[in-house]
Amino acid sequence: MSLTNIMFYFFALVAALSAISMIFVKNVFYGALLLIVCLLSVAGIYVLSFAEFVAVVQIIIYAGGILVVIIFGIMLTSRMAGKPLLVQHGNWFPGLLVSGVMFVLLITLLSQQSFMQPSLPPQPEKQIGNIGVGLMTDFVLPFEIAGVLLLAALIGASVVASTMKSNRE
Amino acid sequence: MVPVEHILYLAALLLTAGLAIVIVKRNAIMVLLGIELMLNASNLNLIAFNRLQADKIDGQMFSLFVIVVAVCEAAVGLAIVLRVYKMYQTSVPDEVSELKD
Amino acid sequence: MNDQLLYTPFFENCLALVVTLPWLSGVVGFVLPENRSSSARVLAVGLMGLSVAAAFFIFIACWNNAPYTHQWNWFSIASHQFSVGVYLDNLSAMMVLVVTLISFLVHVYSIGYMASDDQQGRYFAMLGFFTFSMLGIVLADNLLLIFIFWELVGFCSYALIGHWFEKEAAAAAAKKAFLFNRIGDLGFLVGLLLLWANTSTFDIDQLRNLKEVFSWQTAASLCIFCGVIGKSAQFPLLTWLPDAMEGPTPVSALIHAATMVAAGVFLLARVDFLFTDQTLDVVIVTGAITALLAALAALVQNDLKKILAYSTISQLGLMVTAFGSHASEVAVLHLFTHAFFKACLFLSAGLIIHAMHEAHHEASVHNDVQDIRNLGGLRKRLPFTFVACVVSGAALAGIPFTSGFLSKDAILTSVTLWKGDDFSWRWLVLMSTFIVSFITVLYTFRLIWFVFMGKEKNTAAMSVHEPPFIMRLPVALLGVCSTWLIIAWNSLDYAGWLFNSFHTGENSHLTWMPFFSGGWVLLALATAYFLFRKGNPYQSALLLNNFYLDRAYQTIVGKPVLYLTRITTYLDRTVIDGAIHLAAYGQVALAHGLQWIDRFVLDGVVNGAASAARGVGSLTRSLQGGKIQVYILSAVMAILMFILWTLI
Repeated sequence: MSLTNIMFYFFALVAALSAISMIFVKNVFYGALLLIVCLLSVAGIYVLSFAEFVAVVQIIIYAGGILVVIIFGIMLTSRMAGKPLLVQHGNWFPGLLVSGVMFVLLITLLSQQSFMQPSLPPQPEKQIGNIGVGLMTDFVLPFEIAGVLLLAALIGASVVASTMKSNRE
Repeated sequence: MVPVEHILYLAALLLTAGLAIVIVKRNAIMVLLGIELMLNASNLNLIAFNRLQADKIDGQMFSLFVIVVAVCEAAVGLAIVLRVYKMYQTSVPDEVSELKD
Repeated sequence: MNDQLLYTPFFENCLALVVTLPWLSGVVGFVLPENRSSSARVLAVGLMGLSVAAAFFIFIACWNNAPYTHQWNWFSIASHQFSVGVYLDNLSAMMVLVVTLISFLVHVYSIGYMASDDQQGRYFAMLGFFTFSMLGIVLADNLLLIFIFWELVGFCSYALIGHWFEKEAAAAAAKKAFLFNRIGDLGFLVGLLLLWANTSTFDIDQLRNLKEVFSWQTAASLCIFCGVIGKSAQFPLLTWLPDAMEGPTPVSALIHAATMVAAGVFLLARVDFLFTDQTLDVVIVTGAITALLAALAALVQNDLKKILAYSTISQLGLMVTAFGSHASEVAVLHLFTHAFFKACLFLSAGLIIHAMHEAHHEASVHNDVQDIRNLGGLRKRLPFTFVACVVSGAALAGIPFTSGFLSKDAILTSVTLWKGDDFSWRWLVLMSTFIVSFITVLYTFRLIWFVFMGKEKNTAAMSVHEPPFIMRLPVALLGVCSTWLIIAWNSLDYAGWLFNSFHTGENSHLTWMPFFSGGWVLLALATAYFLFRKGNPYQSALLLNNFYLDRAYQTIVGKPVLYLTRITTYLDRTVIDGAIHLAAYGQVALAHGLQWIDRFVLDGVVNGAASAARGVGSLTRSLQGGKIQVYILSAVMAILMFILWTLI
């Protein structure tokens, strides 16, 4: 059992535990924080899977951008200032049942498949450069569309969330 | 090397956990968190399959775009949640049921 | 048996007129409204006058001739034929004349007496109907018809006694009269049924021609005598007649002196062939008791009309006694004379009452005008009335040279002859008859003495004058008829022209009787003078209250019947009504049960089906509740099921 394996299983365990405990917490803020923990451990798994760029992007954007914005949203939508925002659970039995069934289904189907053995990348130190080149050559269309998408989302989000009363109602 | 199935199992767990959060929680923001978790599970799948063909970078590129989409979706979703909150004074999606039958 | 040579159509028309004119006056009295009562009065009197004229003609045509009969078929049941018919012989003709004449005189008198009454139309109507019914009794030829008119007469008497029905005493008296009559009529009906059962005929002629004397005749004749007891106020059914004095005085004169009470005696005379010796013994004893009781009671009465009422009962008892001594013609004779002098007495009493009423009105004094203790010394104020009372009172007492003397003579003779020569209980009857004639003189003297003689007490200050001429005329006529001439030319022999028309056998006549009875009467007059000249000597509550007969009847008959009615009322109300109520309650309970079933079972089924549908509907509707997370759940469940289904 090498160190990477141990670290992989450690990160996997953390991610699994935080994800599962997210189902049962009642405090929304705790949920957000647990998500941050889960994302960080997933990023660690990325690193151990030779996808360093994606891991860094994950940390910066997900944990540092989206979750912060989500925490802003939590603060803005809590009715009582100073008190924690507690949620109720509804439909828990069907929800858990469905999730459980799906999990069992996936595990069963996955275990019936046989996959190839993973291999090492040929030049791991040139990976980021390859990603950059690939963005501009092989994946330039999704790159541009992603940019347009980001623009549209930006405009759309700011319009939806604005408090101006013009052209509404 | 860790066998790729274990990552896939983890990804399945994260996916179903995210689904459970979406169905069970009675808060719109928790629903968004669940959606993020599900997207992360798919990302994990992509990176796991990328390990099987280490000379290609398709998986990593796809997951980058998945992250971009997730960002856009989170932003717009939060904007909608804030708007709904301003209009209905509640962030429980069950109470905003004006489209019911 | 119509003798065509003797009875002309004119005679038959007169006969029809005699009967229908009173009936017509009755109808007129009812039909005309009260504000036209004066024309009703005049019409009634006129019609009665015509009827009297027709009766006179019939009398003359029919007297001492063969009887006139005529029959019409009425109805038939099975094989029996019932008919309506007329039988006119001496007895009927005489009765027709008496009835119509006295009724006419009473009509004339009533015009004056009832002048201030406000229901004169009804009064004259009932008088007319009464006359018609009475004529029906005397003219009928079969017993069924007699019974029908008998009842009608009873009803007219009820209506006339209760003419002033607002007075409670009058209404009660009318009811009592009718009831007592009905009790007697029960016996009459039983007698009729006995007769029918044994002979299958009601016709008097056929009954008269029965060959032998049967054993059932005793029972039948006893029962028919019961009817006579009721109608003619014999003991024990005699208490209705004094109470009937609540009616107007002309009514008392017509009905309860001259005619209706005499109908009983007439019936006896009609069917005298039915009476056997045993029945006649019962009859004579009843008559004797009645005469004695009533005479004793009349001796102490203080009411003017009650004295006369008891006197009537006593005289009826004498008539029945005469009939019971195997001499029905004597009874009819006394009936004839009694009708005239008693009617005269009653109408004179009416004159006194009328005069005193007017005097009281003018002087604004109110006490009982009929109480003889309040009257006295009126001979100077009411001379005509005095003379009329003396004449008819003398006839009642049996003073010589009056008709009453002759008929009383006849009664005493027949009773003496009946007694026979042996010493038996018949002596008692004879003794009581003589005592009754003695007491008759006593109370008549007392009446006249207290009313007319002596000094005026209460009436000295009032202005008393004679009633109008129209009231005095009938009294005068009746007074004239109280003399001996009406019966016989010989004032000492009762077997005169009237009597001989009835009596078919030989005349058994006691020559010493008139002298003996004359002396007896004078002795009674002297006794009365010594007894009463100083005023009322003695009272007796027993006699005043008519031997408490009324109270006895109330206790013996009234109370048990009332007790019985209470029991039956209780039964009806509790048991029968209770059963009905129980049925009603049961039905209500059943209805409640059905309602419960309807509401819970039937409606429950229907409602259950509806709510099941609603449940299923809301279940399926809940899938689209507008809840996002439910939508997501449903989609995922569907996908899972699809996947599982393809895998398995």
